Amino acid sequence: MSATTFDGFRRPDGAVGVRNHVLILSVTGLTGPSARRIGRAVPVARVVTTPYGSGLVGEDAIVQDRALIGFGRHPNVAATLVVGASPPKVASIVAAIRASGKPAEPLILDECGHDAITLTERGIRLAARLSHEASRLRRERVDLRELFVGMECGRSDPSSGLVANPLVGRVVDAIVAHGGRAVFGETIEWLGAEHLLAGRGADPTVAQAIRDAVARRERAAVAAGMDLLGNNPGPTNVAAGLSTIEEKSLGGIAKGGRSPIRGVLDIAQSPSGPGLYVMDAPAYAPESVTGLVAAGAQVVLFTTGVGNSFVSALAPTIKISGNPEASARLREQLDFDASPVFERRESLESAASRLLALVLEVASGTATWGEILDEGEEVISRLAPAL
Amino acid sequence: MSWQATSLAADDNVATLLAAAASGGRVVVMTPGGELEIIAREAIALCHKIALVDIAQGAAVVKYGDCIGEATAPIRCGAWVHTHNLRSRRARLAEGQAP
Repeated sequence: MSATTFDGFRRPDGAVGVRNHVLILSVTGLTGPSARRIGRAVPVARVVTTPYGSGLVGEDAIVQDRALIGFGRHPNVAATLVVGASPPKVASIVAAIRASGKPAEPLILDECGHDAITLTERGIRLAARLSHEASRLRRERVDLRELFVGMECGRSDPSSGLVANPLVGRVVDAIVAHGGRAVFGETIEWLGAEHLLAGRGADPTVAQAIRDAVARRERAAVAAGMDLLGNNPGPTNVAAGLSTIEEKSLGGIAKGGRSPIRGVLDIAQSPSGPGLYVMDAPAYAPESVTGLVAAGAQVVLFTTGVGNSFVSALAPTIKISGNPEASARLREQLDFDASPVFERRESLESAASRLLALVLEVASGTATWGEILDEGEEVISRLAPAL
Repeated sequence: MSWQATSLAADDNVATLLAAAASGGRVVVMTPGGELEIIAREAIALCHKIALVDIAQGAAVVKYGDCIGEATAPIRCGAWVHTHNLRSRRARLAEGQAP
């Protein structure tokens, strides 16, 4: 693992972006269509919308706002146009983004006579100006320690726990050892190995938080009538060689590597320092990835067995599979072919060097398939009924 | 290349087959410490596990450097390791039994 630098955009708060997006961020369901119209008129900008608005309460409202602010403060974002219906909500999000030292401009439907056409016209001008200003920024050479990666797996198969996840784990270990940051979520996938994961906690508080997080998800599953430990691994898993729930879960969390776990983050919560973190969050890929990215992950390492098309809108998402059939079939989805390891043509160490090199290349600007095909989206988890 | 199975951590006592093994066949295992050669005691399918050492009944079976369960019978080096001779400790905990 030789290269230890990449070329990124240094932001006013010291963070480093691997992209230089202007973000058109609709913070209420009312303004989503206008945000998309503005985005079509200013196609160099990225559009992220939420379908929800007032009526969210408690932890649900906290997560929604933390994620929206997290998008605006994300290192890959140069400037944000905050589109919303009412002044107080937009003002609070604009203020939180500006606290990072980056530009954020409000665009409010109430102040456009409730007219979406006026909103769109003003928005096009504002987004164009922000894009022009952002285009003046340049990349500079930075150290690998500036990198914060998120790890995710979706549509796994027997190759995932054997090849792609351990491979990503090695790269994550290298990034963390170099002073970088990493996070993975999918709490329910820790079930069965939570005592082992807890054993990697940097202190007893972290260990207990890991056990508590799994226990809460398990209780939610039981309350919904699901038995996650009984008959798990299921017949398909057993036929594929998985013997116990510990083995299945360890195969999934292998993508986190083996560094000490510094803390358990809430959805969209940023880590307080370098090292490996876990996020207590839903396992569904769009929600999981969004939580990691809203926390500030600049790049996502996404392992899959048979393929999974979801990518983040803001963080380049590197798709990795060790399945030879999928690697041949999904040439314009999978960014990294780990199948030579599965086919015994390449060692895990060699593939890990190749993957770290790709991560640095993508961090420096090389496009992922998901970016080229514009698959990106952000999906903020909902936790409770709205009023 | 020449190896047929892989183990991912130095203290693993099982390896996973990346190519099916025949009974009595030589299996070259790629371990973090280098290559290791063992003889398969029985036919073992792709992605299934082979014991790298003798494992006593009740002892931990280790993969990914962590305990994935315990041996329910003595397991000889080169034997197939699966649900017939390995059981979860976590699932037993869930059933309220002592680990």
